[in-house]
Amino acid sequence: MEMTAHVEPVPAEATFRGIQLPADAALSRLDDWDLLTELLDRTREILRADTAAVLLLDYSSGQLIATAAAGLEEEVSQGVRIPAGQGFAGRIAAGQKPVILDHVDHTTVLNPILRNKGIQSMMGVPMMAGGRVIGVMHVGSLAPRQFTSRDIELLQLAADGAAAAVRSMTARADRAAVTAVQRSLVPSALPVVAGAEMAARYVPGSGVAGGDWYDVFSLPSGELCMVMGDVAGSGLPAAIIMGRMRSALRAYALETPDPAEVLHRLDRKMRHFEPDALATVLYAVIDPGLDVMRLCLAGHFPPVIARPGQPAELARAAGGLMIGVAAGARRPVTTVPIPPGTLVCLYTDGLIERPGEPIDEGLARLCQAVTVQFAEAASSAVMGALVGSEHARDDIALLMFRRSVPPDLPGIATAAEADADG
Amino acid sequence: MAETGFPIRMVRGVPVVTAPEEIDIANAHGLRTALLNAAAHGHGTLVVDLGRTRFCDTAGVHALVGAHNRAQAEGSQVLLVITGAAVLRIFAITGLDRVIPNFASLDEALAAAAS
Repeated sequence: MEMTAHVEPVPAEATFRGIQLPADAALSRLDDWDLLTELLDRTREILRADTAAVLLLDYSSGQLIATAAAGLEEEVSQGVRIPAGQGFAGRIAAGQKPVILDHVDHTTVLNPILRNKGIQSMMGVPMMAGGRVIGVMHVGSLAPRQFTSRDIELLQLAADGAAAAVRSMTARADRAAVTAVQRSLVPSALPVVAGAEMAARYVPGSGVAGGDWYDVFSLPSGELCMVMGDVAGSGLPAAIIMGRMRSALRAYALETPDPAEVLHRLDRKMRHFEPDALATVLYAVIDPGLDVMRLCLAGHFPPVIARPGQPAELARAAGGLMIGVAAGARRPVTTVPIPPGTLVCLYTDGLIERPGEPIDEGLARLCQAVTVQFAEAASSAVMGALVGSEHARDDIALLMFRRSVPPDLPGIATAAEADADG
Repeated sequence: MAETGFPIRMVRGVPVVTAPEEIDIANAHGLRTALLNAAAHGHGTLVVDLGRTRFCDTAGVHALVGAHNRAQAEGSQVLLVITGAAVLRIFAITGLDRVIPNFASLDEALAAAAS
């Protein structure tokens, strides 16, 4: 083997690894796309290529969208889109394997920009995150060239770095958006209702959460409505569906006084416009005198009811089918009496579910934790007993309603109320 | 830690997915993928055997109902084998026990698949 006389160059892997380190540290300073462009510049340099580009897969359209480029900026500025499975980049994404093109022509490359640029040879690799293809990184050469398996390895290293950076950017952007959506949708303040008090808790899950919501509003009739819902899935898509469900439900609540009809219309709307969405919803309407609650469940856990002098129990309400499955039977409506002092606790599964534990155990724990007291104190007690200091993976939503005890009925007041009454 | 494997086998010409003992948010995505793969194997009915499943949370339920909805859209069906009380409970709460055909044994499900 021939000995090289010149100084051994820095191994290319080290250069790529080097950029993954600044990638994390620099995230806070560098604009997201500057970072990708920097990575592409480096890739082009190391592989001695003329162009380098990243296309990201848009799941809703199934298209690869040119997102960052070096030496091939027009791909990004002209918004190139390649259907997955077609053309050079599309084949890489669909096959999840590197592709080398020694000779570029219209049979192998779909995008005219690459051909017009005079690119002769190309190679590209998939960008993977969490076992899924999230995009493609490719480089091109203006002179005919045979890329080697070593070149592929180096490009894959760069693509892995880019995938990690994109994943973290997307996660951060998603989290920020989910938080913004949730803030805009969960009531910032609960309505003040004479003769009742309410409290709520909302804790986003430690994963990318986003599908739980609650709502409280009054109707022109003077009735008070409470909603607790949980959209399947996570992240921004779930949060957006949650927003649509919330406003659709409000609209139907104005139109019809029957809780089952409200959920029926909501279900029909969801199955037509969001056929992939699944959700559970609890909808309760309390009469203006606060004496009874009409309750309708669409696959949701029944509320826990605590009446003065009695242990808390799950509301004995027949369940109805969750939203998004089928045009099934009408959901039953149960009338639940709420005498003065009664506490009604609405919640989502995140509060009671524990890995590997049957839900009845979680429900029993919740019933034990709900005791007749002010709504705010009851919420704290429930969160303390069921959540403690562990950060749940799933969203947790909790809404507590309590019918106050009139001063002329001190016999069933809590200790605190009795004190307050003097 | 929940299992991630979801074996698919053909029994009397029907793809049967055996669900693990526990299905939760950690492996629900794997179940979803297995159900998609299994649906691609057969030409119609798919059986999900939850016979040894003693715990299934809402994420698992969502994976199953997703497969049911897909099957309905394609004119086929998903049949469930459910024996565990806790699994029956979550299916009752979500109302799915009245929508997705479910059986107390694999034999009964296969008999229904053949009819």
